[in-house]
Amino acid sequence: MRNETAVFQDYALIMSVLFLVGIGLVLLYSTSSYEAALKYGDSAYYLKRQLVFSVLGTGLMFFISIFPVALFRRLELFIYGFSTLLLFLIIPFGRAANGAKRWLYVGPVSIQPAEISKIAIIIITSSLICRIGIKDLGKIKSFAIVIGPAVLQAVLILVITRNLSSAAIVGMIAFGIYFIAVRDYKIVSVIILAVIAAGGGLIYASVSGILGGFRSDRILAWLHPENYAEGTAFQTLQALYAIGSGGFFGKGLGQSVQKLGFIPEAQNDMIFSIVCEELGLFGAIGVMLLFLILIWRFVVVANRAEDLFSGLIVSGVITHVAVQVILNIAVVTNTMPNTGVTLPFISYGGSSIILMLAEIGMVLSVARRGRYEEAVRRK
Amino acid sequence: MSGKRKKRRAQIFSIYMQRKLAFLFVMVLLAFAMLATRIWLINRDKGAAYKKQVLSQRHYDSRTLPYKRGMITDCKGTILADSELVYNVIVDSYHILQNTSDAETLLAKGVQYEYLEPSLNAAESLGANRAELAAYITQNPDSRYYIAAKKIPYQTKTAYETERAQHRLLVEELIDQINEENAKKKGEKDEQKIAAWRAQLEAARKVVAEDEKVKGITFEASYIRSYPNKTLACDVIGFADGSNNGAFGLEEYYNDTLNGTPGREYGFLDDMSNLERTTIEATDGQNLVLTIDANIQSIIEKYLKKFNDEHQNAVRQGYGANNIGCIVMEVNTGEILGMASYPNYDLNNPYDLSVLVGMPELDESRGDQPSGNYLTQDFVNSLKGEDEETTTRRSKYLYALWKNFCIQDYYEPGSTAKPFTTAAGLESGALTGNETYNCEGRLDVGASEPVKCHNVYGDGILTLGEAIERSCNVALMYEAMAMGAETFCEYQSTFNFGLKTGIDLAGEAYTANAVYRADKMVLSDLATNSFGQNFDVTMIQMITGFCSLINGGNYYEPHVVSKITSASGATVENIRPRMLKKTISESTSEKIREYTLQVVTGPNGTGHTARPAGYLIGGKTGTAETLPRKNGQYVVSFMGYAPAYNPQIAIYVVVDRPNAIPQDDAKYATGIVRNVLTEVLPYLNIPMTEQLSEKETEELQALLDSNTIALGASYLAQEVARGGGSGTDSANGGVGTAALFDDANGDGVPDGANLDTNGDGTPDAVDLDGDGAADSRPEEEPWKSYAVDPATGYYIDPSDNHLIDPVTGYKYDAVASQQTLNQIQESSQEAGTGTGE
Repeated sequence: MRNETAVFQDYALIMSVLFLVGIGLVLLYSTSSYEAALKYGDSAYYLKRQLVFSVLGTGLMFFISIFPVALFRRLELFIYGFSTLLLFLIIPFGRAANGAKRWLYVGPVSIQPAEISKIAIIIITSSLICRIGIKDLGKIKSFAIVIGPAVLQAVLILVITRNLSSAAIVGMIAFGIYFIAVRDYKIVSVIILAVIAAGGGLIYASVSGILGGFRSDRILAWLHPENYAEGTAFQTLQALYAIGSGGFFGKGLGQSVQKLGFIPEAQNDMIFSIVCEELGLFGAIGVMLLFLILIWRFVVVANRAEDLFSGLIVSGVITHVAVQVILNIAVVTNTMPNTGVTLPFISYGGSSIILMLAEIGMVLSVARRGRYEEAVRRK
Repeated sequence: MSGKRKKRRAQIFSIYMQRKLAFLFVMVLLAFAMLATRIWLINRDKGAAYKKQVLSQRHYDSRTLPYKRGMITDCKGTILADSELVYNVIVDSYHILQNTSDAETLLAKGVQYEYLEPSLNAAESLGANRAELAAYITQNPDSRYYIAAKKIPYQTKTAYETERAQHRLLVEELIDQINEENAKKKGEKDEQKIAAWRAQLEAARKVVAEDEKVKGITFEASYIRSYPNKTLACDVIGFADGSNNGAFGLEEYYNDTLNGTPGREYGFLDDMSNLERTTIEATDGQNLVLTIDANIQSIIEKYLKKFNDEHQNAVRQGYGANNIGCIVMEVNTGEILGMASYPNYDLNNPYDLSVLVGMPELDESRGDQPSGNYLTQDFVNSLKGEDEETTTRRSKYLYALWKNFCIQDYYEPGSTAKPFTTAAGLESGALTGNETYNCEGRLDVGASEPVKCHNVYGDGILTLGEAIERSCNVALMYEAMAMGAETFCEYQSTFNFGLKTGIDLAGEAYTANAVYRADKMVLSDLATNSFGQNFDVTMIQMITGFCSLINGGNYYEPHVVSKITSASGATVENIRPRMLKKTISESTSEKIREYTLQVVTGPNGTGHTARPAGYLIGGKTGTAETLPRKNGQYVVSFMGYAPAYNPQIAIYVVVDRPNAIPQDDAKYATGIVRNVLTEVLPYLNIPMTEQLSEKETEELQALLDSNTIALGASYLAQEVARGGGSGTDSANGGVGTAALFDDANGDGVPDGANLDTNGDGTPDAVDLDGDGAADSRPEEEPWKSYAVDPATGYYIDPSDNHLIDPVTGYKYDAVASQQTLNQIQESSQEAGTGTGE
């Protein structure tokens, strides 16, 4: 019965999440203490705030896991509407930091609506796929319906907050869920090829000088960071210095030199470079393995999901986590041009960690009701 | 049960989806593997370079922490040189140009950088040049280190910091007040007060917010050398530049002692390649305590300046003399109590060219000898250029200003060398002390023309003492000839002429080539050397040697520093008097004291004018012709000791080419000696031994009333009230003080009839013919019958119109006499005139 099934918990998943959160706090403290002491006179300033967010997020995670995910399917329009509203609210009420309006302030709490968008897109995309049905999913019209809400949100994010990376992630989450659900590869292949062509074209345009301005600069700085050492590529190059000076085993936790003012706001997007510097290649692989274990647990949960919706929700979360980790590390290692992507659980940011844990709450909820529960229970 | 079982419309997460998920997982795995490889590649290819880059960015190498250069204080603790803590204002452009508000907020305020304006204001208030700094920041937006203002005073820095601290404090206080008031019960609360405080708090917060907009301004400690007494003892002290390099005087001689060791703040990599930071504190330099007494020093400098003020521009446009030097030294230790020369300069501003006006022009074609012209304002203005020639010339004149005349210049001493010649004769046994010589006004020593005595009419028969008293050249030539060149030169070296004294000041002149060697000396050289011409000395050589003549033959190394202390005040080294050699015996020394006393007290003594009121002193005048001869240019001097019967201090004053006509008058030097001793002796609490005459009492009273003396004034006032020292001087054993005072009462007529200077109870007059009565000197003072020049009071020789000193019979040379007469005829101005008294 339901009551009995509710007892099951995926402890492996919970443990790996809590471990990541804990490691994240340690790394955040190591990275941010210097700048915190300098800016706020309290070296644990960022740690304390992140600890509060983590505890809140963990509470929210367990709370959400109590409810069946089907509940969110019912709330899809409400959640999607709420997310869209918040995006629009930025226009009059948003507050800028670092040159872009991305935050809404409710008293002392700041919210980044783009993070809420991500969870909303996971829910609405999964729901739309279930509604259309697997059979008709291969049609272009279906694709348009499935991907439509995500594109709308992405455009809003791009236009209102000028945050290309969040917009791209929103699009990728929707595309990821569609990719898992659809049986044939026609549309998927076309889209992937189109994206690759567009990317290649953009790089070519930048190098040949057809494309001018800000974006072109970023691409050129990505290709030749040394030439932009004092400007666009300053952060990237400093991150590379951090990575390169770390070696195999790093300088030791807390021993980073680059965090001492050279990588501005190292606790945000560039935290992974400090991880590389302090813990070396060894530590970097360790952190990636933690994410891999987490994603592996997600895959197991998805495979045993009780229904399509649950499975797609988990697929969405997988896409979200994987995309963000890969993009973040790719940016830090200058494998792709610099865009502001945070590293889940480790980068500083309240909205990010709370909503990420909320997503995992949904995964836990799916796990509780998964098909493998009977097998476990029978033992 | 569940709808899953019914599978009516239930959709499941199909197998192909699971496969796709597995595919996705593998893709993620591959991506991670690629990224890990990428990290490895970065480390492999660029690791070494990036490691270096990180370390070089860190500025881990080092930062120097400044040390404090040691203090220089006089013997009483008066600070003569000190290093003040100052700060450089360091600006971090990069930090200032950071914004935290977004572009729109800034645009609304109409500024590009929110911290730029407040930071510039703050830097300006700290003394930075606003326009320059603003330009620098715009041009170097990434600069992290720029010295915007140099060496701002400690007070400015603390005032700036205190002000900001007070702003913050005010906010806290207001918050406390409001909280306190709020905590009260409802009825007792004064809402109006709270509202008023809230308004104040709002304002105070705005001020603090404004303060916090000041970014990127830090301070860096540094030291500057300061000389609180400006020109005082400038020649002795010297000056140090911003990099703590001393120039001249003590600053140069004791440069290493005064300098400490800079501290370092540096980073290094430990064996784990971790960056460690270490600070080694700077060690401050050691302090010097001088033997010099700032009060004696300032008395000396006061009278040097007074002399200058009286003679400046008198005959020529220029200082009162080319150089005026004065040394006061302790006879029994060699410690310098005061040493000064004029013109002087402000140690805080040594490059001030305006001081050069009036200094002698140097003739570049004649090895930089004085050309006879003097620097005009126009000439000094022309020294301001930056081309090489001007720079060289400027440094030459500044060097002339900065050098210490007392130890770096050498000159012919003139008659002040006579006591040395006599002492050498006595000590070597060539003279017994009972010799007499007949001076006929000139002596043929085999030169082209006979060497003249300063009294061309001849001094007649003279004892050794009288020869010194009257400064007779002929007698001294006989004395030198009696001992011969060998002995004379041996004693020159015994008295250290031609050698360095070893005084602890930088730049002492080396004069080995300025004295004769016996094998190169012909008779005329020996003859002229005997009265101090044709060889050069430094002032410090003369006075140090003279001290040994007076104190029983003990030659002490002269020194200026008595103690070296550490930065914390602990004594590092005590510098005790160091006796270098024995020059003469006590009996010879006694005779020299006797003879030199006669110079001041004897009837025909040349140094009457040097005696300060209330004291008896001994000494010797000097008037040396400079090269080329007969140019009317003289170096006049007086070298003396006081008090006469218990010598404590020696004093030596040299006036190099006084701005007067005639120049060859020792009174320029004796006047300074008299003035200095009048104040210094009471200051040293040396008891007065002599009765004060009415005129002296008036003079001293006038000095007291002038309120220019601080220390020793009470003693002086007491003595003036009492009328001077005790009537009889015990040490003198029955010397007729009344007789002495007749000589010094200012009537200008010496009273020599019953003079007894040596305390033997019999008059000094010489009985040569054995008739039992002192010889009258019929040939003596023939000039008294000549006409008196109404303007100067000098007699005029009818044969050649030369002026003759009424007391000594000294006949001024033709040039000076003619110049004097011309001048008197041209105007009624009494330049360079006055009677011997």
